Amino acid sequence: MSENKSFWQRLKSWIDGEEILIDADKYISTRERKERVSYEKAVSMERLRSNSTLYRVLCVAITVIFIAVMLRVVIDLPMFGDPNGVTVNEVGQRYLEQGIEETGAINFVAGMILDYRAFDTFGESNVLFMAVIAVLMLLQRDKKNTSAAEDQEMAEDEVFDSQDSKLILKKGAKCLAPVVILYGIYVVLNGHLSPGGGFSGGSIIGAGLILYSAANGQKKMQTFFTIKTLTRISVACLLTYCGCKSYSFFTGANHVGWEIPKGTPGAILSSGFILPLNICVGLVVACTMYGFYALFTKGEV
Amino acid sequence: MSVREIVAAVCIIIGLFVFLCSILGVYRFKYVMNRIHAAALGDTMGIFFVVLGLLILGQDIFHMAKYVLIILFFWLSSPIATHMIAKVELLTNKDCEERMKDR
Repeated sequence: MSENKSFWQRLKSWIDGEEILIDADKYISTRERKERVSYEKAVSMERLRSNSTLYRVLCVAITVIFIAVMLRVVIDLPMFGDPNGVTVNEVGQRYLEQGIEETGAINFVAGMILDYRAFDTFGESNVLFMAVIAVLMLLQRDKKNTSAAEDQEMAEDEVFDSQDSKLILKKGAKCLAPVVILYGIYVVLNGHLSPGGGFSGGSIIGAGLILYSAANGQKKMQTFFTIKTLTRISVACLLTYCGCKSYSFFTGANHVGWEIPKGTPGAILSSGFILPLNICVGLVVACTMYGFYALFTKGEV
Repeated sequence: MSVREIVAAVCIIIGLFVFLCSILGVYRFKYVMNRIHAAALGDTMGIFFVVLGLLILGQDIFHMAKYVLIILFFWLSSPIATHMIAKVELLTNKDCEERMKDR
């Protein structure tokens, strides 16, 4: 039991980075130094650049080869507007002719990405969530495992943030941030009626959050938006999305027999699942945008 | 062409000329402080003249109100962003004034 505990403690200290190798000297001396192969001498950009005619000739040759390959590909593409081309087929025709009737969305793009191809959009939202979680794992500041220099840097940052008044930025953000966030909400909610939708509206909301955070500091942002809020909102949205689309999946993708009311096309409460799905996607995108900004600047949300 | 269209065209051309100057300035100057001066010119005066031309061409009151909002947004956000960049440069670079002189 005691050995087990000591193993646990050793593991814990190893993860926290406190483990010191006992036989460090022996360990280092037994390792042989490898002969470094100097690739730099063999393929050196510096040497190539100093040989300027060869450098120029190579540059032009590589560019010409790339242009030739691209142009060769363009020849094989179907002509724009060609009625026999592969892009003009029954899929696009069906979207345009029966899109409003089948999805209830006036914005065909919203009808396409959130109804006909909703699983694709679900995957995209998951990619965003996984990206922010991966960045969180890599960049979040470990409170137990910081060096003195980093601590001092953080303290200096905080002093600078609190003492520097940033009057112009604060006043500007006070006028702009609410308007920007409101506009983002409008774009998300009107996704099925006008150009826009979850992705674009969510990034506008994220920009508003970033503006607020830059003006008022991370401390004030943390009073209502922490890492817990971020993960909870993202996971809740993805689960809602998953639930909605599972319903469609189990009812045979056409809601046969268990119809979701489509409403009149053009009204704000219409087009079945598209409005809630837009809200879910918008919230995930907003959280991802702000999460990236906070993690890359300060290392915590 | 009516008088309104001519006035609008003149305004848009003035705006594009300002944009041209600002782009030339961004490539011409070597230092951040000189460059943001040129870049901010396009974001304020250039946008103002281009949108003013479109405002004169505007059909109904809602279009015009949107154009006014665009000008308002740019005039609020762009100078503040420029100010913040200049402030950071001023705080972090000690020989800032000398760098500004070399053209």
